[in-house]
Amino acid sequence: MAMYQIRDIDHFYGDTQVLSVEDIAIPSGSITGLAGPNGSGKSTFLKLLGFMEEPTYGEILFNGKKALPFSDKVRFKVTLLTQAPFLLHRSVFDNVSYGLKIRGDTRDIKNRVHESLEQVGLSPDSFARRRWSALSGGEAQRVALAARLVLKPEVLLLDEPTASVDAHSARLIREASLRAREEWGTTIVVATHDWQWLYETCDSVLHMLYGRIFNAGLGCAVYGPWRIGQRNLLQKELEDGQLLEAPKPEEEKQVAVLDPSRLKITLPGKDPLLKWNTNMLNGIVSRLFLEKNDEMVQVAIKVAELVITIRMLSEKVEVLKLYPGREVCISYNPQEIEWY
Amino acid sequence: MDFIQEGFIQAITLLINRDPATFSSISATLRASGLALAASLLLGIPLGYLLGYFDFRLKKQIRTIVDTLLALPTVLIGLVLYAFLTRKGPLGEAGLLFSIPGIAIGQAILSLPIIISLTATAVEAVDRNLHLTLMSLGANRRQIAMSTLWEVRLGILAAAVTGAGRVLTEVGISLMVGGNIKWHTRTITTAIALETSKGEFGTGIALGLVLLLIALTVNITLAGLRRRV
Repeated sequence: MAMYQIRDIDHFYGDTQVLSVEDIAIPSGSITGLAGPNGSGKSTFLKLLGFMEEPTYGEILFNGKKALPFSDKVRFKVTLLTQAPFLLHRSVFDNVSYGLKIRGDTRDIKNRVHESLEQVGLSPDSFARRRWSALSGGEAQRVALAARLVLKPEVLLLDEPTASVDAHSARLIREASLRAREEWGTTIVVATHDWQWLYETCDSVLHMLYGRIFNAGLGCAVYGPWRIGQRNLLQKELEDGQLLEAPKPEEEKQVAVLDPSRLKITLPGKDPLLKWNTNMLNGIVSRLFLEKNDEMVQVAIKVAELVITIRMLSEKVEVLKLYPGREVCISYNPQEIEWY
Repeated sequence: MDFIQEGFIQAITLLINRDPATFSSISATLRASGLALAASLLLGIPLGYLLGYFDFRLKKQIRTIVDTLLALPTVLIGLVLYAFLTRKGPLGEAGLLFSIPGIAIGQAILSLPIIISLTATAVEAVDRNLHLTLMSLGANRRQIAMSTLWEVRLGILAAAVTGAGRVLTEVGISLMVGGNIKWHTRTITTAIALETSKGEFGTGIALGLVLLLIALTVNITLAGLRRRV
């Protein structure tokens, strides 16, 4: 069953539209990743999913029923961890126990708070009495997460939880969040730039750009300026002088997105004959990433300032003998580039 | 300049000997200021919260008026209040003229804009993530309001300290509304004014030092409270 059903929402701040999402369902107990550049609407989308704000138009169904901010249907079930670790100006214990106290659920509160602190890798003996101001950024983020986990939420929304913490804290935050799904079946929606979050642990990834979700998979966004080139195509000159061509967009569309599923990787000098309508870009493999099903590998290729990520079968990676640092060619059809 | 040294010695003597007139002034000062501060905190904190927390039409204009009232002259408050409380005035029947509650009303008017303005400033300075955090932890509107107030407690304490300083040291209201009646409405500040006009500088300085001592005690108490919260 779907935990969330989003029905054609449009959200505005003043006269500015910041989000437009058509019908999407988020299954119960799933982990959904939100990817996209800063300002693409991820945080706003999370606030709407957390019922912190009401969408200007459209509706969000929670467990099949329409819910609004402060409604009892969602208030104690959904929790959001904001990007900047914000703690109340109280001790760590009081921060973690706040949610339980306002629920009137103070049974065995000390042990539950301590358990929650341990879950995020903080020793209760050292941290419970500490003041909020005596914590590092990573510790503060983990305390903030503990304050959510102690509530055993049905939905945990995470807004770039590892963006401003060290690798150790990032790992602990990820593990603690995943344990919530394992133990209580918590549905997790996470906005992150962290590849491991997105492609190793998420069941699905929604890509956002300009407040819209688009289905270009791992689409690589290319921003202007563009100039008019040959064959009535637009040209983008990359930092190393290579030219990327794209058809002219409809009005008001500014970002070209390369759909990686339509790209082909070949080795330099070993590429088959190019079709008349295919262009070529030269790049270097920067990273290989094995997805959690072990069948697919994500190959990140750096082409000048762009990073294009292509999913391939692991056998194909072996055949091409791809490794970080290897030079490759990427062929694409300009007519298949989409504009957003 | 001997009268300054004389004032120090006299201050200590007055306190050690528990001089009845001095202690009557201290008592009048503390009762009037205590009442005034309690009333202005009770009214000022919620009003300051509303002003700082919510966006509404005319908010900027109201804020400008409140900030202007910070410079309200005590003699003007005294004069207007006198006009209201005098027998011929609209509130003459209440019998508050030349009484401690009368002085307290004037001092509350004096400190109310301070409490409102500083509370509003503290609430406006709250991290915008606080509201999101409280909401995401399941707080309802009332719990958000109360928790936000608790988060700005140090700002409110600062408002209380400033308000206390203002009401303890004012003289215009106490003189005009209180009438400087010995054993009844003579506060430390009005006593200082009287002693100085009589040429008793030493006694005036002694009373001034007593007032400073009271202010110091109030501030030490509030600083202790600040460390505890």
